[in-house]
Amino acid sequence: MRRFLSILSATAFSAVFSASVPHGAALAGEASVPVLVPLTGFLSLEGTSQRNGAVLALKDAPAGVAVRSEVIDTGTSPEAAVTALERAAGGKVTAVAASMLGTQMLAMLPLAQDYKIPLVTVSGTASITEQGNPWVFRFFPGDAVTKEAHARYVAEELGKKRPAVIYQTTAYGQSGKAHLEQAFKKLGVEPVFEEGVDPAAKDLLPVLTKALAAKPDVLVLHLHSGPTALFIRQAAANGVAVPIVAGSAMHQPSTAALLEPAELKGVCAETAASPISGGSPEVEAFTAAYRAAFNAEPDAFALGQYDGIRMVLGAVQGGADSADAVRKVLSAGTHQGLAMTYKSDGKGNMAHSAVIVCYDGASRVPAIAKRYDNVTGVVTGMVK
Amino acid sequence: MITLQLLVNGLALGAAYALVALGFVLVLNATAAVNFAQGDLVMAGGLLGVALAPHLPGYLPLPGLLLLPVVLVLMAGLGLLLAAAAYLPLRRRPPVAVFISTIAAGIILQNGASVLFGPEPRAAPPLLGGGTLDLGGLVVAEQSLAIIAVAALLIAGQQWLFGRTQLGRRLRATAQDPEMARACGVPVTAMILITFALGTAFAGAAGLLLANRYFVTPTAGGDLILKAYIAVTIGGWGSVPGAVAGALLIALFEVGVSSVLSYPVALGLLYATLLVILVARPQGLFGEAARRRA
Repeated sequence: MRRFLSILSATAFSAVFSASVPHGAALAGEASVPVLVPLTGFLSLEGTSQRNGAVLALKDAPAGVAVRSEVIDTGTSPEAAVTALERAAGGKVTAVAASMLGTQMLAMLPLAQDYKIPLVTVSGTASITEQGNPWVFRFFPGDAVTKEAHARYVAEELGKKRPAVIYQTTAYGQSGKAHLEQAFKKLGVEPVFEEGVDPAAKDLLPVLTKALAAKPDVLVLHLHSGPTALFIRQAAANGVAVPIVAGSAMHQPSTAALLEPAELKGVCAETAASPISGGSPEVEAFTAAYRAAFNAEPDAFALGQYDGIRMVLGAVQGGADSADAVRKVLSAGTHQGLAMTYKSDGKGNMAHSAVIVCYDGASRVPAIAKRYDNVTGVVTGMVK
Repeated sequence: MITLQLLVNGLALGAAYALVALGFVLVLNATAAVNFAQGDLVMAGGLLGVALAPHLPGYLPLPGLLLLPVVLVLMAGLGLLLAAAAYLPLRRRPPVAVFISTIAAGIILQNGASVLFGPEPRAAPPLLGGGTLDLGGLVVAEQSLAIIAVAALLIAGQQWLFGRTQLGRRLRATAQDPEMARACGVPVTAMILITFALGTAFAGAAGLLLANRYFVTPTAGGDLILKAYIAVTIGGWGSVPGAVAGALLIALFEVGVSSVLSYPVALGLLYATLLVILVARPQGLFGEAARRRA
């Protein structure tokens, strides 16, 4: 019921903002930012976080900026995403909070170029910023950043040299595995075991057993939320003493909620940010506002999208009065967000930091164990 | 020892799949219609357990045991609604109409669950307790044993119902030839409603059992309906023992074969096995007990 009320309030929010200004009109200091994200289908967990982050940023618009917005569920098909963008493009649009699903982004990109609309996303799919399209801006570190941090933490901080890598057989899993492989190779580390697991696999004991048979000194996971929790639970039940460094799904509060704190003892994970871990008064204020608005815990996707939309609204506040003007600010400007400092690498990759969070076995709130800034080496002179 | 442990895990998984497949076969037998909402009904059972658990009196001492009968009854009610909405108005239409209506019902269930519960994976309470038993190095989850026990009881109960009771005979008569059954005075519509209720209750039980050990999300049903479909095809359309055997075979591949090879290879081999069975024995391992009209 709470979830229903939260969705109802988000819809009401959209309606209020949509109604506040006549459709199609554009005034100085006005931002029209449709939110086109997957709220149903297999990516609904992450898409909902994305939606919430965008909605919160629009709700907290800076002084002098009037916001108009609507939320459209793109589902998980490219066609639905394109239809949603075409519908949104009917009015005057400042920027779009665009789906985090790579296949949807790839379908939306040509259209965004045609309509000249900046797409602000937290999609991790590497190829969306490799199309030479100047209208895409990614406020979430891609695998090239997060997996380097992941591998460096394993090799440099934990001093492990025999990782067993268990990844999902989806596009998400394959991409992460490829970047992990490269990062480990650069560090002179050779995985002793690698295996892909289908997201539909119910029992992960077989893969755990085989991984342990290879005598690894660390288990490196790159799995979706449910399989991550399942793997950690089965490892804990079987008294596995080998440390686990998981992918970003682990940092999501909903993943930790599936496990007892004791099962999480010593487990670490890579992510872009961990809002529930705090770290600054601003992040704590964001987390409190998110909880109050959505009765849920925020994750890195929510914070990344929040930061991205805040940068758009900051550009409007600074005088950007068209979509192209906003694009120029996003392309050349720097934004001190809550998760990190954002600056484009020339391709629209705005995020270049990652963190490692670890659980102490006493609570489901992880602590930030290590921060990696400027990981790609593309952007120099960044703060933090 | 690890082999034994994998066997226990495989049995637990197979037992839960068997419940999913049995519900599927029940409806198939009685109506000759394929209920594509079966996987989403499993999901609904799991989420029902998640929703009800905190409100059940005496929740702490015996959570799942108290929850199971409540979920069974409520899911049976949902089955009646499903039959009334997605089957009965279309029973005289071409079979494809029921295909589509059950797919639509599944989508409605998925999206309804997404709105009410959100997209996060959830865990239902355990049937007995969330602990594990250490049997001389063999670590067995209490929930695994509970899944096997409950599935065995429900399957045995179903066999008793169909084999030893008047109601069971009427249900079988409806399955074999509804027109003749009606001519003999069997209330066919009531029998169909009962079948949907039973099949949905089985799905609910499977959902509750699976959701503790393997979690549940609103979109979890898609994989399960595929597995139920494969289990029934392997075992033989309409065959209850076949559905159980098919479910156990799928679990064997998922747990046993994947522990030797990899999960993707095990899945590939499962589909290859299915193909071989379809070619060599099109009626499935246990023959075809019911005339297939859908």
